[in-house]
Amino acid sequence: MNNPMNQLVSKSIATDAQYRIKGGIHPQEYKSLSNQQPIASIQEPPFYILPYSDLNKGSTTTNLEIAQPVEQGQILINSELANLSSVVHSPCDGVIADISEFDLGHPSGLEQPAIKIQAMPKSELERSAHADSLTDQIDYQSLTNEQLIKSVHQAGIVGLGGAGFPTHIKLSAPKDSIHTLIVNAMECEPYITCDDLLLREHPQSVLKGALIAAKTVSANRILFGIEDNKPEAIAALKTAIENYFDELTSTQESLEIKIIVAKTKYPSGGEKQIIELLTGQQVPKGQLPSSLGILVQNVATLEALNKAINQRQVMTKRLVTITGNLVGKPGNYWIPFGTPVSHIAEQLEVNLEQLACFIFGGPLMGTRHSNLEIPTKKSTNCIIFDSAYKTLEYPAKHQECIRCGECELACPMNLVPQQLYWFAKSQQWEALEEQQLFSCIDCAACSYVCPSEIPLGSYYQFAKSEIKDIKNKQIKSDLAKARFDNREKRLARIKAEREEKRRKAAEARQLAAANKTNDPDGKKSAIEAALQRVKAKKENKP
Amino acid sequence: MSNSHAFLNDARPTHQLMMLVCLALIPGAAAQIHFLGWGILINLFICAGTAILAEMLILKLRNKPPLETVKDNSALLTGLLIGLAIPPLLPWWMSMVGVGFAIIIAKQIYGGLGFNPFNPAMVGYVLLLISFPVEMTAWLPSPDLATATPNIIESIQIIFFGQTSSGANIIDYQKLADGFTMATPLDHSKTAFSLGNMTSEIFQNSQFLKGTDHWFWINLGYLVGGIYLLISRIIHWHIPVSFLLSIATCSTLLFLIDDQNYLPASFHLFAGATMLGAFFIATDPVTASTTFKGRIIYAVLIGVFVVVIRTFGGYPDAIAFAVLLLNIATPTIDHYTKPKVYGEKIEVKVYD
Repeated sequence: MNNPMNQLVSKSIATDAQYRIKGGIHPQEYKSLSNQQPIASIQEPPFYILPYSDLNKGSTTTNLEIAQPVEQGQILINSELANLSSVVHSPCDGVIADISEFDLGHPSGLEQPAIKIQAMPKSELERSAHADSLTDQIDYQSLTNEQLIKSVHQAGIVGLGGAGFPTHIKLSAPKDSIHTLIVNAMECEPYITCDDLLLREHPQSVLKGALIAAKTVSANRILFGIEDNKPEAIAALKTAIENYFDELTSTQESLEIKIIVAKTKYPSGGEKQIIELLTGQQVPKGQLPSSLGILVQNVATLEALNKAINQRQVMTKRLVTITGNLVGKPGNYWIPFGTPVSHIAEQLEVNLEQLACFIFGGPLMGTRHSNLEIPTKKSTNCIIFDSAYKTLEYPAKHQECIRCGECELACPMNLVPQQLYWFAKSQQWEALEEQQLFSCIDCAACSYVCPSEIPLGSYYQFAKSEIKDIKNKQIKSDLAKARFDNREKRLARIKAEREEKRRKAAEARQLAAANKTNDPDGKKSAIEAALQRVKAKKENKP
Repeated sequence: MSNSHAFLNDARPTHQLMMLVCLALIPGAAAQIHFLGWGILINLFICAGTAILAEMLILKLRNKPPLETVKDNSALLTGLLIGLAIPPLLPWWMSMVGVGFAIIIAKQIYGGLGFNPFNPAMVGYVLLLISFPVEMTAWLPSPDLATATPNIIESIQIIFFGQTSSGANIIDYQKLADGFTMATPLDHSKTAFSLGNMTSEIFQNSQFLKGTDHWFWINLGYLVGGIYLLISRIIHWHIPVSFLLSIATCSTLLFLIDDQNYLPASFHLFAGATMLGAFFIATDPVTASTTFKGRIIYAVLIGVFVVVIRTFGGYPDAIAFAVLLLNIATPTIDHYTKPKVYGEKIEVKVYD
């Protein structure tokens, strides 16, 4: 305890946030529905459906075949380290039942490639050495950054806060570019409590994960950002940090750890918002938090990171909040990725008779679904079964915008949402980009406050995808045009060459014809040639 | 099936907002009825009824669901605002022309609620004011100054038939005990200034003071309603506060320059339609600027125009003209007051 750093930090582990964010809303929380029960597990489902990749970019499958047996933790889908995708592991022992396209809950209704695994639990004896090798305990301090990043990649870890961004990419920041690790424990969206419960029950695990992440990017400061509606989690985390400092030896490099408590307000858990709340800085437009020397990681991601490095567990499950007034046993459960929603609904006694649709994620940023056969994904942090959601489609008819400006007051990004709405409605894509549509973080605070009940967020999502589509098409058409131009050039060149050839041949023919008129039977040229030969012979003689 | 937007909404719906604005008019309207007679109430019925019927008719012609749409209460509000802006005994058909023009031309022709560039109530009011200047300035004196005040039956008779069964017309009710007629305080002071009176002389006139008195109470009524709107967050402070501050500042400046030729701020703030304008007219979200800075610029300029037109213009009151002028400028104001988006204003700090 003679480390001055320790005392300095221990005195004020938890402080109130010094800064504020613009806008935001205070929706009813509904968190007590699911945060009163301890974390539990559910029975394993009979089968799993695993999407190729949450991000669907650059993944390559191992050569899986139908009926092939797989083991829990076995890599099903590998990916390159540099790719923006993650490794997918088998959540169970079983066999590959199907490799085809499934409804995975894409809003377009499109089916996407996925692997169906029939679970077949093995007895302990049948387990191969493969599983045993993962139980080795290792000290992360002895690993190099490259080794850590590789392990994170091999464990298939992605951001569990909702976006599902591969963690190894985030951790691969250039050396010494990051000084602060922000741990996002805000969990600002109504209903969701999985981060809260994780911190209450496993604060040490989260802290260890944070230490690993901080070491990987060489950050010397860890800031936990949390809302003041989670006093139990704050207390648990505080104790964990205090214990850590007690154990700390003076040889340890200086590391500042702090909990910063912010007033409850949605969307303080947005990456850009938590950075502003904790540091007072705004991420410059079009740049990443790393430009400020900041890395933001979600609580659950760090817990998974700790498991991956310290316990060598690959990521095949996560904590999911199952909540809503139609759930018989609401709470937070460890649910393996790929578990069909129908299985969860059955296990947790969801009243399906009254269920019109369910929500993946929170009520603001989530998505509505009606097909109970879709599986949970790595990014699924919450499933809401609630009678308040009476239809899959929200009222298609809404009143006209009266430009009341409430959306502008609510917008945390300081956009003018109603202006965006007018442009989105009239499909003025260029104007939308000028109005910074792409700064929108999809928080849907504007939809929440709109007196005309306009699903503004939905309009922006549509506009964004349309603009991206147009840009992709533009790229494609530019390519096609370039190809066409090249082809035209090539054809012209070939034509010119052919023309040239033809011209030469014609000239040769003309020459031949001219010779023919001067020397009709070829005698003259034969004599000429003979004379030439004799002459050459003579010259060659010494 | 899936839907990419969970969509949670917990806002007071538009129709409820409009209804609450209508209800917030009650204190001011009650004061107006109390001081200016039953004619106001009758006008309110005529105007509200005309507004709703005109709105439904046009919605029908536009193949929109009339009943469903008229329930947004925006037409009702427009009707009520015109009803409160016109003099108490205005002939019924004039009220109907004004309201009909407001709803049909100024609102529905542009596409209905949310699409109209000009405040419909003010368009209707200005149409009436420049078409029927005499009738539109025929206000009644305070009951304690007047020789006679029309009761409810007499008011109906004058509004619908031009005279009562006993043969009295509006001129008779405008007369004061001394035989002069009495307009609004703004009207009176304008005339008095043009006759070469000084401010102090105008304020010595006891009749003027009594007239000012009842307009003070009417304005106070609208102020109370306006404060309710602010507290319940139906409107925000930017427009009313900047508007009132602007009026106070401009009139005080003039008063400081010459306290005998200009009226004090206290008079400007509680005369004419100042409070109605500040909380109920300039705040119309559809036609006002929407950005934070824009709203302040918008309201300040309305205040400037109000004082300028009241002081130097040909009309005694100027809320309607000032609001319409700034309605034209709204898109420009909005364009130049776009807020800085998150991350735009911050210079990149380099860490090394």
